[in-house]
Amino acid sequence: MTRPIFLFIASIFLLLPVIVATGGISIELQLLICMPFILLLGIPHGAIDNVLYMNEKELSVQKFVSIYLLFIGLNVLLWLIFPIVGYLSFLILSAYHFGQSQFSHYLKNKSLLNKALFISWGITLLASLIFFNLEEIQGIMLAHPEFTLFEKIHEQELLKFVFFGSIGTSFILLAYMAIKKHLSLEIVLMEVMILTLILVCFFLMPLLISFTLYFVILHSVKVLREEFLFLKMKNAELSVLGFIKMVAPFTLISLFGMAFLFILVEFGIIKFSYGYVFLISISSITLPHAYVMNKFYNLLSQKGINRQLTT
Amino acid sequence: MLLADIVSIPKDDPVAFTFFTGYMAMLAASVFFFFERSRVEGKWKTSLLVSGLITGIAAVHYYYMRDVYTATGENPTALRYIDWTLTVPLMCVEFYLLTKPAGAKKSLLWKLIIASAWMLVAGYIGEAFTDGSVGHSVLWGTLSTLGYVYILYTAWFGEVKKLADQSGDATVIRGIRTLAWFVLVGWAIYPIGYMCMPGGWLNTSLGWDSSNVDLLYNIADAINKIGFGLVVYNIAITTGESKTAQA
Repeated sequence: MTRPIFLFIASIFLLLPVIVATGGISIELQLLICMPFILLLGIPHGAIDNVLYMNEKELSVQKFVSIYLLFIGLNVLLWLIFPIVGYLSFLILSAYHFGQSQFSHYLKNKSLLNKALFISWGITLLASLIFFNLEEIQGIMLAHPEFTLFEKIHEQELLKFVFFGSIGTSFILLAYMAIKKHLSLEIVLMEVMILTLILVCFFLMPLLISFTLYFVILHSVKVLREEFLFLKMKNAELSVLGFIKMVAPFTLISLFGMAFLFILVEFGIIKFSYGYVFLISISSITLPHAYVMNKFYNLLSQKGINRQLTT
Repeated sequence: MLLADIVSIPKDDPVAFTFFTGYMAMLAASVFFFFERSRVEGKWKTSLLVSGLITGIAAVHYYYMRDVYTATGENPTALRYIDWTLTVPLMCVEFYLLTKPAGAKKSLLWKLIIASAWMLVAGYIGEAFTDGSVGHSVLWGTLSTLGYVYILYTAWFGEVKKLADQSGDATVIRGIRTLAWFVLVGWAIYPIGYMCMPGGWLNTSLGWDSSNVDLLYNIADAINKIGFGLVVYNIAITTGESKTAQA
């Protein structure tokens, strides 16, 4: 068990009864509860992509930022021209990124089987989140006209098919890996238990709260920890405060950037709703971040230090 | 009056069935641990004695609980908690005894005993004195969970884990890891049972009730108490054998 997994289990045990007891929580209140965690822990986990990427490549900050912005620009264009393709590619990329991060400390990236596990695990995660919270999602979609485009993707039967297909594939792949001894039985049992807990969490808790629990603890905290320990290996004197100072600039730039976009929405300069702009922003940050993290995880497994950074 | 004189076991009642099998299994496990105690190395004898005591105490309680249940059909909450108040701290003692050769201090023992007592007392108040309200169930359930989370952390990352690693003995490291799994999975059944009680969210949301509680508790008790003892026994036997082989 890793520390983020422990934190996730402890949070579920402590929060689940409280949240279920409160009954329904409005989406506004959920936003109010979840936003501080997403902003303070979620955004920073991608805020040192420059440090991680330039660690192995000879590249100036300006050039890195230019390439990063180019990726963001291309993604925004995709969303504007082909929104459904933009949304689908965002979901698939996020699924792969979440799966890769979940198994980063066990597996080497390059095998096709591992990649299949990353994507099927991630699709299970996202499909279950949407499938179990469809009513809430449809409520949000009704409030924002741009989202009606995605109605077909959120069709219940399709979601059910994707959810059961991906969870079946994930379990088969995990079982195969245990049989072939790519993963120990203990690791497979732990992963099955964690996936089950995530599903229980998505099923019983409101949309944003359940996703925040997963995203902040199992994903962001895990990645932040890996990043910190990796950089500490390079520089033994790096302190937590030093690390916070490293992630602060791009975290603040991202936050101000989003605030600026929201101001543009407020004044009607951008004609989309807040929710839609937020989705495009998150998608645009995810694209280059997932690329950098893929490189980072490849580097960790090449050096054989991926396990050390998590356990 | 003998039990056989007043009641029979319904064939379709898994709770009654597990009360009887639980009782017999615990009794048999105690006999096994007490007899095997003479076969293990000196430093493991107390561990085996404690394993036998855990299943022995549980067997006596199960003897009474099955009578209460078969005679009244009611959930013997008080008897369960008396059993757990004695046996759960003893399971924590096992952690201390197994890591003692690696330098475990008395403070570890007391911290684990206090955490387990906290967990049980809060759980008992939540379950036995329920007014059926969700607030009461959640408050005492959350307080009880704090004790559980502390033990879970200690077993997986804290002092117990560090001491096991320090021992340098692969069998002890593996054994402690297995016991940590018992705490993670086996002990997690108890909160599920707790949440089936009036006011618990499994009761209010899914309609689970005391029959589910008893079945879950009986299964959990058998797995945890006998399983815990068997892991300890395995450590004692394996380390003894490896020493004999080395000699």
